[in-house]
Amino acid sequence: MRPYRPPLVLLSHLLVVLLGVVGLSACGDPKSAVAQHDVLRAEPVDLTFHPTTGKLGLTIVNTGDKPTAVGDFRIEGGDWEAFRLATAVNPTVLRPGERMHLELEVDATSLRGPGGERRSAVVEEVAPPEIGPNDYRPASAHLQFASAGRVTSVPLRFEDPSWVSTYLLPALAKVLLLVLAFIMPVASLLTWLERKQSAMMQDRVGPNMARISIGGLTLRLWGLLHIATDGLKMLFKEDFIPRRAHRELYTLAPLLALVPALVVFAIVPFGDALCYGHLLDVLSQADVDQCAASRGGTPLQVAQIDVGLLFYFAIASIATYGTTLAGWASYNKWAVLGSLRASAQMISYEVAIGLTVVGALLVYGSLEPHAIVRAQLESHWGIVLQPVAFILFFTAAIAETKRAPFDIPEGESEIIGYFLEYSGMRFGLFFLGEFIEVVFVSALVTTLFLGGWALPLGILGASGFTSALACQAFFAGGGLVLCLTGAAIWRASKHAETLGALLLLIGSVHLTLALWSAFTGWGTALPHLAIVTIGMLTWGIKVLALCWLQLLIRWTLPRFRYDQLMSLGWKGLLPLSIANIVLTALVVYLLAPSAPVGGP
Amino acid sequence: MTIGVKKVSLHRTARDQVFLPAILEGLLTSARHFFKNTMTKGMGDVDTIRYGEPDVDIKTYYPDRFRGVHRLMYRDDGSVRCVACMCCSTVCPAKCIYIVAEDRQDNAEKGPASFVIDELKCVVCGLCVEACPCDAIRMDTKQHMTPTERREDAVLGKVELMSRGGPSVATQGGLGPEFRAVAPQADPRFGQ
Repeated sequence: MRPYRPPLVLLSHLLVVLLGVVGLSACGDPKSAVAQHDVLRAEPVDLTFHPTTGKLGLTIVNTGDKPTAVGDFRIEGGDWEAFRLATAVNPTVLRPGERMHLELEVDATSLRGPGGERRSAVVEEVAPPEIGPNDYRPASAHLQFASAGRVTSVPLRFEDPSWVSTYLLPALAKVLLLVLAFIMPVASLLTWLERKQSAMMQDRVGPNMARISIGGLTLRLWGLLHIATDGLKMLFKEDFIPRRAHRELYTLAPLLALVPALVVFAIVPFGDALCYGHLLDVLSQADVDQCAASRGGTPLQVAQIDVGLLFYFAIASIATYGTTLAGWASYNKWAVLGSLRASAQMISYEVAIGLTVVGALLVYGSLEPHAIVRAQLESHWGIVLQPVAFILFFTAAIAETKRAPFDIPEGESEIIGYFLEYSGMRFGLFFLGEFIEVVFVSALVTTLFLGGWALPLGILGASGFTSALACQAFFAGGGLVLCLTGAAIWRASKHAETLGALLLLIGSVHLTLALWSAFTGWGTALPHLAIVTIGMLTWGIKVLALCWLQLLIRWTLPRFRYDQLMSLGWKGLLPLSIANIVLTALVVYLLAPSAPVGGP
Repeated sequence: MTIGVKKVSLHRTARDQVFLPAILEGLLTSARHFFKNTMTKGMGDVDTIRYGEPDVDIKTYYPDRFRGVHRLMYRDDGSVRCVACMCCSTVCPAKCIYIVAEDRQDNAEKGPASFVIDELKCVVCGLCVEACPCDAIRMDTKQHMTPTERREDAVLGKVELMSRGGPSVATQGGLGPEFRAVAPQADPRFGQ
């Protein structure tokens, strides 16, 4: 066993931090992307119109420290005649921090047809090209306004991108990113974590034997490679179908269990919105909102549909068919028993889930998950506003995953459950579907109650941290946690020294950033890419933490008896969620600013 | 006389019926174990003996008195210490030690011409070690008899047994009559 050498570790990391501070200070004051002399800022920095968009708002905010007169609004540029101000704007004086709102609209009919040819000189007789009802040429202009002798201009653009480039390609990219880079790796990781974490909780060693040799270097990675060995084992096992089973339904059932679990992820927002063209710029919330409307960007959510949560309920109930059909098609009385239990349980708990969500919906006023997260950012996280709903929803959602302590459909100790006859990768699909559901429950709880991609207390806005102090607190706290974890892991075993050193290094970088922020006040204006990355990492960490919590619950609590399960669902969760709805509705009714006195 | 029935009343306080405090307590206990075992040196409370794992030295897990495969010790000049007294083969309950005695060329003592132990018959009782008067046979190798493809391979001869051997600090043949003079305190039976 190598002796632990704290002075060397500490010294090396202190050195890294010091070098970082010196190096960064040498770089001088960071350049803010918003120029210092530019006291009037437009939000968003540019306006993009599509043929279907109506009026678009533009906010002019005075970021300087003295009142500034604004006036002489006009639209100039190549296609100035297509754009116009929707409302009359009068010259005014903006005090520091004051905002001025204008609305612009575009006359799409004047932009019909192909672009350049119409204005060029006609040399030879050419038949004018066919102009379809939906053909538009791109147009650009800019809105100008004068303030304190300077003229500021805001670019205006009109474009008619194809459905493919606006919706299909971003959606495909997001699906691939979400499924290949998050869901599948995390679900596979959970198959390992399930065993390793339970081992650690029960003072055992857990899986650690799968290893791989690369050029004489043997990697065991705490048994992480069991993910691969399990997959290989599943693929090579005999694919057994009972002789009297219903072959078609028997094949269909695992798919019906797996596919809905993947499909429901479409509604989960894993970030605010990504603006392709402004990755390195400092953006305001208005810019991000424009990107979220698919004008020059894309919302970080596969499908932004208004009925979001209803879509989840609809798709999730299809998964019940998977379990029910699996048991029925197997021609095995124990499997049928398991599938009956599964359908009974899922029906009971879906009622509770639905009614629990209603309370949250009353508060947020929307069914669309992206809007729900935004509503939480504007007030408080759901866990603060709806603590009872959080506990009820989390309980019912864990019951929906059919895992202990709600593993009645499987009932390992009694009936082995609805997938009793399945073997090989068919069983693997049920298994994987179960873990994907665990990830989804975490993602949904994160979205509904834990503020989605947001950092706590709203310290990270769309353009950066709300104050330098928030930035320092974030980086110092994160760096401290990372460094302490890294040091603990470094000490824990000599196999983990590399990982511990890596964590220590990342933590040191965080601490360096905190120090840098303390010296320079850096952190209030961050590039869009950094904001999006922090948001997505925050979302991922929240989801992973909830997955860990679910495994902790699964390996701590004893399982329910069948009647206890039903009485908890119908006599516990259901009345409580109805009470929650009534109370929430009352409070919302009384607190709503526009509450009519005599009733709705 | 009536039959006494002991009624056990189940007192459930409000705290018990809500379940949540108890659940939280349980979760905290599990989480404490999790973090102790992952974050502290030597895997915290995990007491598992990692027997047989590839990069684990098995010998550190065996007690000092563990009886493994036999070995024969040798003298300073490298020849075997055994004097072919037949004590071990006599005391062996499994009758698995076969010794053929011969005259040693260098001095008056006997020595084994062949010394064979059938490890398949051995019951690992350790009586041979206790019987040996000159510290020639030992079982402190901390090795199991490895499985073999053929029976003959499990029958170990003098060369194999000595290949695990080492020099002994005991005086060859014991001290004899000089023992009381040299080390009176070593054996309580001899008294003051």
